[in-house]
Amino acid sequence: MRRDHRSAILGVHWALILALVGLQVVVPPFHHTLLARIMVLAAYAIGYNLLLGYTGLMSLGHAMFFAAGMYGAGLPLFYLGVGAPQAFLLGIAASLLLSVVIGTLTLRTSGVSFLIVTMMFAQVFYLSTLYFNRITLGDQGFVLAGHLPPISLGALRVTLSDPVMRYNLALATFAVCLGISLWLVQSPIGRVLVAIRENEDRTQMLGYNTFAYKLLALTISAAIAGFSGSVYAVITSYVGASFAAILYSIYPLVWTLLGGSGTVLGPFVGTAVMTYTIETASRFTSSYLIVVGVILVALVMRFPAGIVGAFRRRWAPWLP
Amino acid sequence: MGSVAAVTALLETRALSKRFGGVEAVGSVDLRIERGEIRALIGPNGAGKTTLVSMICGRIAPTSGRILFKNREITRTKAYHRVAFGIVYTFQISSIFKHLTAFENVALAVQRRVGGLDRDVLAREVGEALAHTGLAGARDRPAGSLPHGHQKLLELSMAMALHPQLLVLDEPTQGLAREEIGAVSRLIQSVAGAATILLIEHNMQVVLDLSRRISVMDRGRIIAEGTPAEIEANREVQRVYLGP
Repeated sequence: MRRDHRSAILGVHWALILALVGLQVVVPPFHHTLLARIMVLAAYAIGYNLLLGYTGLMSLGHAMFFAAGMYGAGLPLFYLGVGAPQAFLLGIAASLLLSVVIGTLTLRTSGVSFLIVTMMFAQVFYLSTLYFNRITLGDQGFVLAGHLPPISLGALRVTLSDPVMRYNLALATFAVCLGISLWLVQSPIGRVLVAIRENEDRTQMLGYNTFAYKLLALTISAAIAGFSGSVYAVITSYVGASFAAILYSIYPLVWTLLGGSGTVLGPFVGTAVMTYTIETASRFTSSYLIVVGVILVALVMRFPAGIVGAFRRRWAPWLP
Repeated sequence: MGSVAAVTALLETRALSKRFGGVEAVGSVDLRIERGEIRALIGPNGAGKTTLVSMICGRIAPTSGRILFKNREITRTKAYHRVAFGIVYTFQISSIFKHLTAFENVALAVQRRVGGLDRDVLAREVGEALAHTGLAGARDRPAGSLPHGHQKLLELSMAMALHPQLLVLDEPTQGLAREEIGAVSRLIQSVAGAATILLIEHNMQVVLDLSRRISVMDRGRIIAEGTPAEIEANREVQRVYLGP
């Protein structure tokens, strides 16, 4: 990362945030809602990308961190009537705690074993949400409408059920996670994570405790997943076990690969492209997943490094 | 503790052994390296040299025996802690980060020592390290695209940037052209003032140029130790290298 590119890097990422700020006034309500969802899910993918793209660890269990954030925020909102800010903190804390335990156990493995072990733990988590259905209400889930007290910011009262508020909550979540990701991958920590991805043995012989760094990457990744999970629960007003199922572990993997793993903007681009592809295809045919599948295969064959990865290779090698 | 020698030894192994299943790769090795020396470790392929230094660096755990660094027990110490103590290893097969630039490679080593939060300090130290090995021009090139000789030099830059007290070099001239060997030799000589060096090397010219003390390994044991002249005259060594 040369000094002369720093302003360009900041410029590109600020441009995206400002574009998203501006879009809410011009797009119709349907896209308004869709964009809000995309931004929160992109934040989830950003967390996933820190682990896959920068540390080289492919997890197939991130749904448990997403759902831990969702339940960690949703259950206290639903049963205890806490405020939304407290709920977000509880959601983050839940996934953070879970990731420390899971990480300590699973990071003894790597490669395919890590993939399988994380998937198994996530299945345990998913089945637990079904087993304790008296609390979680299982598959059916629960609706948060009526459980979201307005937030008071001084004289300002913020109502979270208002679409404008939801959009901007999603945007703030996305911006924070994008900022964390951008800062982290350019920091000394990010340099070590990339080194672990490239050659863990060598990194250790340079004097780095690679286990500790991998655990750090996993907990940050999980905390971001938990944060986005808790925000997703609030903006959709719904918490359910389906978000803990394996599909929600596969999604961030696909979004990240499609957008470009190991690029800061890739997760957003991947999430946006895929969500819009599904939306568009489902309008024309009921077997839209076939269309989505074909497009995915074509994209991955054309751009094996992902969309942003291909862009970076050709036009902007300085992009982090 | 009383003797002078015990105080000056930088590294000491006592009855250090490693068994892989039924094979004894290293058997009861007592090795003493004094501060400031360039010690050569030679021996035929499969003698156990790399296994021995791997135990010293903490890449593999010994089956039995002890390792002392500056009179401190490090037998069970993790490899990354030993790097912090000053034991630095360069790999036999060049093991740089091929997809990262030369700058990033050396930055990883510098950052281990200075922290890396101050970008200016980092850039300056990396620049100096690259200039020292003549790689300043390769700063922003992916390490994997450098010629083999330059990759070896980069590996040495990384090792030196860690400011080692004991630098373990595993065949640093392997696969290099003659003029490149000269450059690596001079580089090792230039580090020797600041660091003690343990050098595994097959090229006898390099060994004789650099080192005043040689240890010879065969079948997991140290069979001879002494000055180059003593080693050349040693019957056991002749038998190992030339056959009975």
